[in-house]
Amino acid sequence: MNGVRAIAAVVAACALAGCAALGGRGAGGARPAWELPPPAVIEAPVVQPGRLHRAQLENGLHVLSLEDRRLPRAVLGMTFRRGEASVAPDRAGLASYTAELMKRGAGPRDALAFAEYVDEIGATLSVFADWDSLSVVVMGLSRDLDRLFEILADVVLAPRFEPAEAERARGEKLAALERAVDQPETLADWFTYAAVYPGHRFGLPLEGRPESVVVLDAELARAFHARVARPNNAVLFASGDLSAEDLQAHARRLFAGWRAGELPDAGGPPPALAPEARKIVIVNRPDLAQARISIAHEGIARSAEDRIAASLMNSVLGGGGFSSRLFSRLRAEEGLTYGVYSGFSLRRQPGPFFVSTFTRVSEVRHALDLLLAELERMRAEPPSEAEIAWAKTLSVGSFSMNLETSDAVMDGLVDLDVHGLPEDSLDTYRARVRATTAAEIERAAREHLHPARAAIVLVGPAETLAPQVRDLGPVEIVEP
Amino acid sequence: MRAPRSLNVLTVLALAGAALGARPGAALEDPAAQARVTRFDNGLVVLTLEDRTTPIVSFQMWVDVGSSDESRYTGLAHLFEHMMFKGSTHIAPEQHAQLISARGGRVNAFTTRDFTVYFEDVTSESLPLVIDLEHERVANLDISERTLESEREVVLEERRMRTEDSPFGRVYEALFPLVWQAHPYRWPVIGWRSDIEKATVASCRTFFDAYYSPNNMLIALVGDFDSAVALAQLERTFGALPPAAEIPRNPTEEPAQDGERRAIVYFGANSPILAAAWHAPPTGHPDIEALDVLSVVLSDGRSSRLYRSLVYEAQQALSASGSYLEMVDAGAFLAFAGVRPDASIERVEELFFAEIERVRREPVSESELEKAKRQLEVELVNSLAANHAIAARIARDYATFGRIRPLDERLERIRAVTAEDVQRVARTYLIDAARSVVRLVPPPSAERGE
Repeated sequence: MNGVRAIAAVVAACALAGCAALGGRGAGGARPAWELPPPAVIEAPVVQPGRLHRAQLENGLHVLSLEDRRLPRAVLGMTFRRGEASVAPDRAGLASYTAELMKRGAGPRDALAFAEYVDEIGATLSVFADWDSLSVVVMGLSRDLDRLFEILADVVLAPRFEPAEAERARGEKLAALERAVDQPETLADWFTYAAVYPGHRFGLPLEGRPESVVVLDAELARAFHARVARPNNAVLFASGDLSAEDLQAHARRLFAGWRAGELPDAGGPPPALAPEARKIVIVNRPDLAQARISIAHEGIARSAEDRIAASLMNSVLGGGGFSSRLFSRLRAEEGLTYGVYSGFSLRRQPGPFFVSTFTRVSEVRHALDLLLAELERMRAEPPSEAEIAWAKTLSVGSFSMNLETSDAVMDGLVDLDVHGLPEDSLDTYRARVRATTAAEIERAAREHLHPARAAIVLVGPAETLAPQVRDLGPVEIVEP
Repeated sequence: MRAPRSLNVLTVLALAGAALGARPGAALEDPAAQARVTRFDNGLVVLTLEDRTTPIVSFQMWVDVGSSDESRYTGLAHLFEHMMFKGSTHIAPEQHAQLISARGGRVNAFTTRDFTVYFEDVTSESLPLVIDLEHERVANLDISERTLESEREVVLEERRMRTEDSPFGRVYEALFPLVWQAHPYRWPVIGWRSDIEKATVASCRTFFDAYYSPNNMLIALVGDFDSAVALAQLERTFGALPPAAEIPRNPTEEPAQDGERRAIVYFGANSPILAAAWHAPPTGHPDIEALDVLSVVLSDGRSSRLYRSLVYEAQQALSASGSYLEMVDAGAFLAFAGVRPDASIERVEELFFAEIERVRREPVSESELEKAKRQLEVELVNSLAANHAIAARIARDYATFGRIRPLDERLERIRAVTAEDVQRVARTYLIDAARSVVRLVPPPSAERGE
């Protein structure tokens, strides 16, 4: 077995580094492809020429269309460049609450009539808030284009914010928050945010906490909508079976009279060092057989200059799936977990960097030691040339994979608009990945990984977990 | 916020006279109509469908074996699926997945009650690598004690995550053995814990020899590739595998259910869960479209009956749905409601079964029927947007029916469903004496966190 492993390791190194192949063997006498120098990843243009159109209305509304006639369907949407990050901590959840209410009656229709109006044509309406944006997206058949635009315009311009609906929606949100606690991974996320960013909006879950949601009402939602839903804060987009002319004609008809307004603050930065010192939080769930483990601290902003270097470094660490160091160590070699992942949550302001996994309660310390050691190793021992080579190939290859559909390309373009990034960022992405140097990746590891002062959050039986980790730092035990 | 660069000219194109809706518009064409079927001498079926729009190809290998084929150790089909990533004569453990994911490809596998599916979605230059790697593990799989031990632990972690510590996982695990008391659909795909703990290298090898032969497999390729080149490579590799003489199948059939069955699961959750299931016909049955329409009327969108009744009006549930589950030997109509922490599960059950009673008692309205058909139609159109979904559809169709069902056939059957059909299937299948009900509730005395 060891012999086979050694040979295979050489083959793998060759395949990744592109060196000459080993001796031939394989079915039918042909050399298997894994022994051959890997071909370059095929790179097609992100958008076929002539398909993407940009415009802007006089009121500031950006208009983006991506024509794709292969299927008789269209996705229309409006994204506003403000989200939960712009909400004060004591009203956390207001952006998503507003989004929910926007679905519950708009224009001439109350909540049930509006739902009927959407469902009648088999359309799907989503209204949702993220940290930096609030979006309305309508999807349906292109033969219903006029109706799809009416739905979009009603939700964007004329949500009703009826008090009775506001009551219902708040009750549902509170119940949903209570239910969310049933999921160990949700508990891990919530308490991780709180441990990293106490006092800041990022310290609370995206959807808020019961104490901030309980104060929300129709008037707060109406006021949030009035401030955020402005054409100079929005991008209107469409992909699918419609032309730029279709979209622009509808845009002028429906949105040209919409007045620009002053925009609310997008949300201030969290502390630069978060947390300042190691802390361990155990969320007590005595009933769990499997504990959740998170390690987290401050990360980088969506617009950080070195985000590609940081992302390549993270691929090698724990973001690169089956090839990453964390996966190899914890799952492939030790059988400790089904999944392990690391990543940066990229927002307008720096969101957290986190590592998360789960394992049987008895093995938590073992897993934690391995995770912390791998984080230290990434700082001390930068990725090898072979690791950097595959991280770049992964990045370029998965970029193509992730942009398979026009809807996905449009999502990418809207994200650039929200974050004020250059509009050709998708076109230049692959070249920027290739141009990233080993020194930049090494620097990203040193600057953005801080295991010694990271927050460690465990969800599981405190009685068994606490003795395993007491020597790692101050331990706080909390009830969910 | 920086202004996007190409917006220097802050104007909108002048569109005087451009009539809205006067556009060419795409007709719904079924891409699968162009799929080619090739059968090698050893029985392997290969489906190829070229589409050069994006430089991506989806490769799927469907093996006609699922958890319902297991005989001694439950969970073996799934455990074995994991072992397929643990190395072969020329490839080290995990290296298969590493080689694909290092090129940005998506590589994974899943097991159902009927099938085990391995897939790679890659940029097209990697297809030769995918074919050689898939052939390597089918031809030269190496199952050792050491790799089985470590992967067994991984699967046990997966089981803890998906089932043992998950409220919905626990409900599923209680519901299926109520519905099927005899048929192998009764046990969980991931298997019972004790079986996973005890499965042996020898049992994995026997399983492999019994089911992983070319005449029990199908390969589907969809996307940017040259069929002649890919077929030649597949012929050279997979074409050389020896077929099996006979594929063993479990003979057990489910006897008719002659009374309601109930189970209670105690689990420390804030939000109780109500689940119910009824026997329904297997995939391909003429009643399926009517059952799909019924699912949509009950569950899809905020104007659906269950949302309106349980979530919106009574404010007793956070979610409520009823949907038809399609499998090869038998189907089920499954219903779930997430009960609000401040509500009563008894009340939710009452409201839920009142809605079931209503679809039995009276035909759905014309507008509900038309709406449901539209929703199903849009769903079909959406399923055609990505190569992976198209590959899954044609592979599943061919593996189940020996042909690829045209989209039009499905559309016509959906359009033909009448309100009477919906009432008839509700009366035929959703009968009280043949339902199974599971309630997940907190244990009677113990509080979580004490």
